Amino acid sequence: MPLLFPEEDASDVRRRYKPDVIKGDMDSIRKEVLDFYRSLGTEIIDKSHDQDTTDLHKCITYIRDFAPDVNKSSQLCILVAGALGGRYDHEMGNLNVLYCFSALRIVLLSDDSLIYLLPRTHHHEIHIQTSVEGPHCGLIPIGVPSRSSTTTGLRWNLNNTEMRFGGLISSSNIVVGEKVTVQSDTDLLWTISIKKL
Amino acid sequence: MDLMHHSSTFLLPTIPLHHGPSLTYALVVLNQTLPRFAPLLWKHAQLRLCADGGANRVFDEMPLLFPEEDASDVRRRYKPDVIKGDMDSIRKEVLDFYRSLGTEIIDKSHDQDTTDLHKCITYIRDFAPDVNKSSLCILVAGALGGRYDHEMGNLNVLYCFSALRIVLLSDDSLIYLLPRTHHHEIHIQTSVEGPHCGLIPIGVPSRSSTTTGLRWNLNNTEMRFGGLISSSNIVVGEKVTVQSDTDLLWTISIKKL
Repeated sequence: MPLLFPEEDASDVRRRYKPDVIKGDMDSIRKEVLDFYRSLGTEIIDKSHDQDTTDLHKCITYIRDFAPDVNKSSQLCILVAGALGGRYDHEMGNLNVLYCFSALRIVLLSDDSLIYLLPRTHHHEIHIQTSVEGPHCGLIPIGVPSRSSTTTGLRWNLNNTEMRFGGLISSSNIVVGEKVTVQSDTDLLWTISIKKL
Repeated sequence: MDLMHHSSTFLLPTIPLHHGPSLTYALVVLNQTLPRFAPLLWKHAQLRLCADGGANRVFDEMPLLFPEEDASDVRRRYKPDVIKGDMDSIRKEVLDFYRSLGTEIIDKSHDQDTTDLHKCITYIRDFAPDVNKSSLCILVAGALGGRYDHEMGNLNVLYCFSALRIVLLSDDSLIYLLPRTHHHEIHIQTSVEGPHCGLIPIGVPSRSSTTTGLRWNLNNTEMRFGGLISSSNIVVGEKVTVQSDTDLLWTISIKKL
């Protein structure tokens, strides 16, 4: 964080950007970092005994089940930074978290792209924020082939189109305008590029 | 069912002669930062292609991997055999430079239906001379990271060309397909890869997969997105075996040396 505010004092920036919770199996966090945030009042939840779920999975579970003052029933949306890139098995594990918690809005973000699930239980309207995202996008049938998907608002729309790995998937597509609609018989992954400003 | 052997010998400084079936390597460079071991892949490859903007990467970044050498010398030494794609990313100066050195330029700007990687794989499979297709292995640098829809498109290329050996490489990981048509033996090159690995049922759920050689082996285990997938696994020892009812994606970490 201090590197993103080079003209400010690093300590001031660190105090301002204090996490509410640090959770996980604690095998990566440096001791000095842990001590620093603990002294500022951050809640430390050590789950080092639980090797069956990823750190992201643990955090999503925490937010869903325990986070106070967060209105779960209405419009919770969990933004995840750092889920893409790095070890590929990690990236896939993070992707799987979207599918495991398909009832929650979870957005994975990198410098280049954002991705989230479009559950098959709903028709979807995606309002494109053209100042910050697009135009490159894709709809990906991860996990299960799609027998029928239909879209509007894309350069190459789907029309009851089949999609599957080994066949057609909608990558290198382009958003046209400011609204995209999607309906499908399966959970699809929506991805759109983030503009470099 | 036939056995298929896999080994990441392309990451070794020299390829041991006695190791399993001997493979012919082709290298495709896509438009992402070159992995730090790109010169090693280049050395092992008999055919080197750049997909469009991949040529910019070789031109700009190969000299950076040899900072003590003259940049022009490095660029001449790392001259691609072919540059192919829709040519909307490659810089004119780069195109002219390699053309003047004799690189074959194949302009496919009229074909917007397939990705640059797809075009390169097709070229290698159908047209590349002097390459023994039956023992061919295509190494791809720059397929992961960057735009996520591109990454997924590149992943799909593995499934579309499931009869070919294609390995996607980043600085951190390598991935390739284990076709359901074979039992698989993966010989782990422990000096350069591992121990973190995974088996991912990307396109279709797997009703039954079985492994040996992993910390958490599968035993006729179901895998699917939304349920169990084998990520954050660990290789134990030097041999992993896999059999499955579906095409699985194998991924293993590359050691930072």
